Amino acid sequence: MERRSFFKMVGTASGAALTGACGKPAAELLPILVPEEQIVPGVEEWHPSVCRECTAGCGVIVRVMEAHHKLERDGESVLHPIAAIKKVEGNPLDPVSGGRLCGRGQASVQRLYHPDRLRGPKKRTGDRGAAELSDADWDEAHETLASLLRQIDPARIVWLTRAESSSRSATVARFLDALGASAATTVGVNDFSVERAAAKALYGWDGLPVYEIQDADFVLSLGADFLGGWTSPVLYARRFGHFRQGRPQTRGTLIHAESRLSQTGWAADRWLPVAPGGEQDLAVAIGNLLIEEHGLGKDVGEAFRAPYTNIDLAATIAATGVSALRVRETAAQLAAANAPLVVAGASIVRTNSVAAVGAASGLNVLLGNVGKPGGVKAPTTSPFPRPKFSDPQARLEEAEIVFVEGVDPLYLQPALKDALAGVETVVSFASMVDETAAFADWVLPDHDALESAAAVVPEVAPGAALTGAASFVRPLYDTRPVEETLSEIAKRLEKGIDHVTAHSAYEDTFAALDEKDEWDGPLEFADYAERQGGWWSDAASSSAPEAGATVLEAARFEGSESDYPLTFQPYFSSRFGDGSGAALPWLQETPDPTSSAMWEAPMEIDPGTAAAAQASNGDLFRIETSAGSIQAPVYVNPAAIPGVVSMAIGQGHQHLGRDASGRGTNPLAVVAEAAESQTGVLAFGATRCRLSKAGDGTLRQFSIVDRETEPVRL
Amino acid sequence: MAEETNTALTESAQYRWALAIDLDRCTGCEACVVACHAENNIPVTPESEAAASTKHWLRIDRYYEGEFPDIKMKYRPVMCQQCDQAPCEPVCPVYATYQNGEGLNVQVYNRCVGTRYCANNCPYTVRFFNWFEPEWPEPLELQLNPDVSVRPAGVMEKCTFCIQRIQRGKLDASEEDRRVEDGDIETACSQSCPAEAMIFGDLSDSESKISKLAAQGRATQLLDELGTQPRVFYLERAK
Amino acid sequence: MSSEPSPECFTWSEPSKMTKIEHTVEAANARLRQDMLAPLTRFSGPYWIAASLCLVVIAFAGFAWANQLAYGIGAAGIRRPVYWGFYIINFVFWIGISHAGTLISAILRLTDAGWRKPVTRAAEAITVFALMIGGLFPIIHLGRAWLFYWLIPYPNERLLWANFRSPLLWDMTAIFTYVTGSLLYLYLPMIPDLAMMGRRFGGLRGKIYRALAIGWRGSDRQWHALEFAMKLMAAIILAVAVSVHSVVAFDFSMAVAPMWHSTIFAPYFVAGAIFSGIAALVIALASLRKFLRLEAYLKPMHFHNLSKLLLLMSIVWAYFTVSDHLTAWYGGDPLDMRVFNAREHGPFAFWFWLMVVCNFVVPFVLLGIKKLRTIPTIIFSSCTVLLGMWLERFLIVVPTLANPPLAAAAGSYSPSWVELAITAGTFAAMILLYLIFTRLVPIIAIWEYEHETIS
Repeated sequence: MERRSFFKMVGTASGAALTGACGKPAAELLPILVPEEQIVPGVEEWHPSVCRECTAGCGVIVRVMEAHHKLERDGESVLHPIAAIKKVEGNPLDPVSGGRLCGRGQASVQRLYHPDRLRGPKKRTGDRGAAELSDADWDEAHETLASLLRQIDPARIVWLTRAESSSRSATVARFLDALGASAATTVGVNDFSVERAAAKALYGWDGLPVYEIQDADFVLSLGADFLGGWTSPVLYARRFGHFRQGRPQTRGTLIHAESRLSQTGWAADRWLPVAPGGEQDLAVAIGNLLIEEHGLGKDVGEAFRAPYTNIDLAATIAATGVSALRVRETAAQLAAANAPLVVAGASIVRTNSVAAVGAASGLNVLLGNVGKPGGVKAPTTSPFPRPKFSDPQARLEEAEIVFVEGVDPLYLQPALKDALAGVETVVSFASMVDETAAFADWVLPDHDALESAAAVVPEVAPGAALTGAASFVRPLYDTRPVEETLSEIAKRLEKGIDHVTAHSAYEDTFAALDEKDEWDGPLEFADYAERQGGWWSDAASSSAPEAGATVLEAARFEGSESDYPLTFQPYFSSRFGDGSGAALPWLQETPDPTSSAMWEAPMEIDPGTAAAAQASNGDLFRIETSAGSIQAPVYVNPAAIPGVVSMAIGQGHQHLGRDASGRGTNPLAVVAEAAESQTGVLAFGATRCRLSKAGDGTLRQFSIVDRETEPVRL
Repeated sequence: MAEETNTALTESAQYRWALAIDLDRCTGCEACVVACHAENNIPVTPESEAAASTKHWLRIDRYYEGEFPDIKMKYRPVMCQQCDQAPCEPVCPVYATYQNGEGLNVQVYNRCVGTRYCANNCPYTVRFFNWFEPEWPEPLELQLNPDVSVRPAGVMEKCTFCIQRIQRGKLDASEEDRRVEDGDIETACSQSCPAEAMIFGDLSDSESKISKLAAQGRATQLLDELGTQPRVFYLERAK
Repeated sequence: MSSEPSPECFTWSEPSKMTKIEHTVEAANARLRQDMLAPLTRFSGPYWIAASLCLVVIAFAGFAWANQLAYGIGAAGIRRPVYWGFYIINFVFWIGISHAGTLISAILRLTDAGWRKPVTRAAEAITVFALMIGGLFPIIHLGRAWLFYWLIPYPNERLLWANFRSPLLWDMTAIFTYVTGSLLYLYLPMIPDLAMMGRRFGGLRGKIYRALAIGWRGSDRQWHALEFAMKLMAAIILAVAVSVHSVVAFDFSMAVAPMWHSTIFAPYFVAGAIFSGIAALVIALASLRKFLRLEAYLKPMHFHNLSKLLLLMSIVWAYFTVSDHLTAWYGGDPLDMRVFNAREHGPFAFWFWLMVVCNFVVPFVLLGIKKLRTIPTIIFSSCTVLLGMWLERFLIVVPTLANPPLAAAAGSYSPSWVELAITAGTFAAMILLYLIFTRLVPIIAIWEYEHETIS
């Protein structure tokens, strides 16, 4: 959609429209907060915002119309007209979403109007984990927390959050700084610490590499389910669409190598079923073939090539689980392509994932596409800090107070329960009681993302990007933005902090702009950026870095092969992401791509294992690992690698609303305590398991048919 | 007078709405499925009813093909094909479903008495029935789209090509005294699709994207041997 | 067993009733009237028990339907893609049974078959009641049943017209015609008996009988008029009956669904209807014979004749079934074959082969082998035929819908308590209607016997 027609959508009831970037803004500015009285029934307005369901940071536009909210007033039920959010779509001006949006973004409006949202601050009355909460007062909360923080040693203040770089992370950083506490950290699960570490080791880059899939003609994606979730689902899906049919003469070929047939495998021209842990071997084998047989990488240093060349090729190929024919074929196709690209990732994290990703991404160096069109590019920079991983177990053990915001650590790493229980004060900012908030002493619900003002730097973007939201609807309940809570607390501690807002972020950007002259000043520019939903510019070109050599290591699995003959493989699904999607009924009822199951996440086993265990779809089975056991219904997956049990992560909440709680099992609960060796993050794909039958059942599938069968003749 | 102001509308009989789905771009991500639910006030089906009743007006049919390790997934988004020769239309005893002249197979909710013959006669099984009264736990009803009816129990429903958006698009165009232009109207699914695999448009406009796509060699139609003349074109995956 | 009445058969009845062969016609007629009218005034214990049981079942069915009306059709077990289930199956089943009366009675009357006399009214009653019950189902199965009248083309201010291209509309028209016709066809032959009862009974009951007798005096002119009317109705009702079940068949054959779109359905359904109708008639007659002690009138000859018709229809049914399936199998259309296989070896295999046994094997053996053909085996065959014909309707409706052309949409069906309750309720309703009818009107046409002796 063009800029002009976009601005026509963002209009007031009075119909004022804004002209394009080159002209002066119209005299009438769009009031940012839509007063209820000004909403005309039946007339829609569109406001830009940012989707916060994952950290991709897609810019969205939100449809606002009048609706009637049922309220209790003086014991009576009253219908109060409000400005309500009806629909979320991609912001056509945003280079990440490009006007498109994934299912989780579409469902985000259900989080805003979720019936189980907290309506005000709460404090704990029962035992830790019982989630018995009573209403509290904001002032009381601020005062109590301030007095606690006054006494606590700043070294024992811990802030756990998601790996989002935004005005929020910047404000939190200011707060922690003011207190003398260490920076906010992430839990390390589903936050791409592995890919970041690999990029740092290989290229010296800070952040996630950007893959220019749209300009490549042959892509090998190794371990990166970039169409099924991963770092930026919408951006990469858009790029993929263009890669396939967006260019008149070129149709890109995609080969996907992963230890399960994921969504990227669906869309690929061929799926290479890599054995769990064989990702590094595949990368190295292909690298070897590229160097030895196709003569690539001649201009790269010997040290860099060594990991690929000093190997026993046959043994390495055997360890991949992929046939030699396919490995050679893939290497040949990479070598022959005009614009080959290897997308390297660890959708399923093993103990050697950094090495595996490094080895895979290193193929791009051999192919010579780094920094080139259709190749891998340097990450975008961000003015805001992006929280890094630090072992949460260790942090919690040292903590006297822990703040949890934007992440549910107890869901992602249930083993943290004891450490969390041992912290004197736990504060959660969750807007619905989740697994962690059930342990909290204070739950100070944040505004919903669609009620918030923020500027987010997308995880992956084509260039410099600041995608923002102003508040445009009144918050539904007595919730407060985290920034406000922090500044209140800071005020009481006589350490005033200024929020970092979207507006201030834009103002700061103004100074470095090339096209400064088009605006009268930073304020005007900031208004403009706020109205269009962000400020985006092309990336500065960067030179190819000196690539560092990858240190290889073999993958390890917990549990002996004799006790646990199968490999257990939880994966993050496109429906639930880090598990927070399970709260949203639309996502629960969307059929799981692999099994077509709704409202549940079955364990997927291959037909051979199923036959031996006499398992049919829906039967309840027990997975036992060295860390415990869980039960889940079975799905016999014709595409499952023999001996590999996969299971989507997302169910198994005890809390998080009526649609998520008490439903299914959390596979992360039985993942062994294996760590990725270079970063220390949880290697959730390094557990072995065994199966036993627990009962019969049927699977709740939307489609009960797995194959189109030709009819059998008599 | 009426002719002058309604020039755009009197030409409306010439619109021929159609949808193209590029299976080479589609990734089966189901963003379209969720977008459709959000746009069309489709009630959430409780899980006890889910398997047989969930109203995925737009669904992704998926079939495994081949054997491991050379196994593939064949998948295809399927929604009401808005057939020109719809088998569902003649069998409704109360005229609750008919062709509206622009290629849309229209379902009139308040006329439907629920004989369900239309659903049986649809070879694509794209019609869905309201077995119970829909419910929205508060305050989820705030999200309801005011441009779309909420259907009561006993009534049939299905994909409408987002007729509410088509109506709005035609109104907006007529206010400017012109025809709807290519790209003015997007269905919820086509707007959301990250891979840009769904293209909605007017076949009577020979310059429109949909007209060009429908003419491509890759374009096929589902069950066209039945003679339903669907308005949905599938661009088969290239090899 | 010979087919002529013989003294031996009288020994089967209770000795207290008949001690010796009556010689005079009047005495025979008086005996006839006594036997026929006795039930009208006799309400025995077993009668009340049976009626109460039926009422209880009907009440429960009513509760089930109320439940469905309140909560939605979802109270039944039908779901996508099997959008039609027990209700449509029952609809076709009961309309099929309704063919008993008119066809038997009409054909026998038109051919002047003497043995029809004790059979006709019972048969015609089955028709009317089965139609009333069957005609309820199109309303019960509607999603918004309270709007059923929209299917009737009545003048309205919105100028909305029903869609006459829809087979459901043809259904409605045909069934309405058939109900009217068969009511007439039941009523006309009752007139002389109604007049006779009007003379016998007093009070309100007598008044109603006399009113319904519309001034019947038994004159020659009236007899001629009645005979003509009955023959005319017989011919008309025959045509209507054939058309009605063809139209019901069109509900399926006009659809595009695999294995429904079959040209043989119209004659197949008509043949099946006659088949199930005869079976129902046999069971009805056997029950009447036992409970009303009509052994003198419903003789083995009648059952044997009906059993021959049953055997004939069984063979015809088998012929049509094989014809339909053979064509489908030979053609091998993948969409058809998926349904075919589901029926023959898939989830429906057990029911399919049970149907074949019930509809063909059992009748062929028990009725085809003379030694095996006894009244008990005839009744048993009729019961299996009824079950088999119900299963046939089930196997037409459900496997096709469960296996739609796009395989991903395949599904299944299991009825809920609501459907089972309503189905049971219809059988109870049939029995109850019969119970009431036998107390209101003599179940065997008295005048047919008397009339013969007069003329």
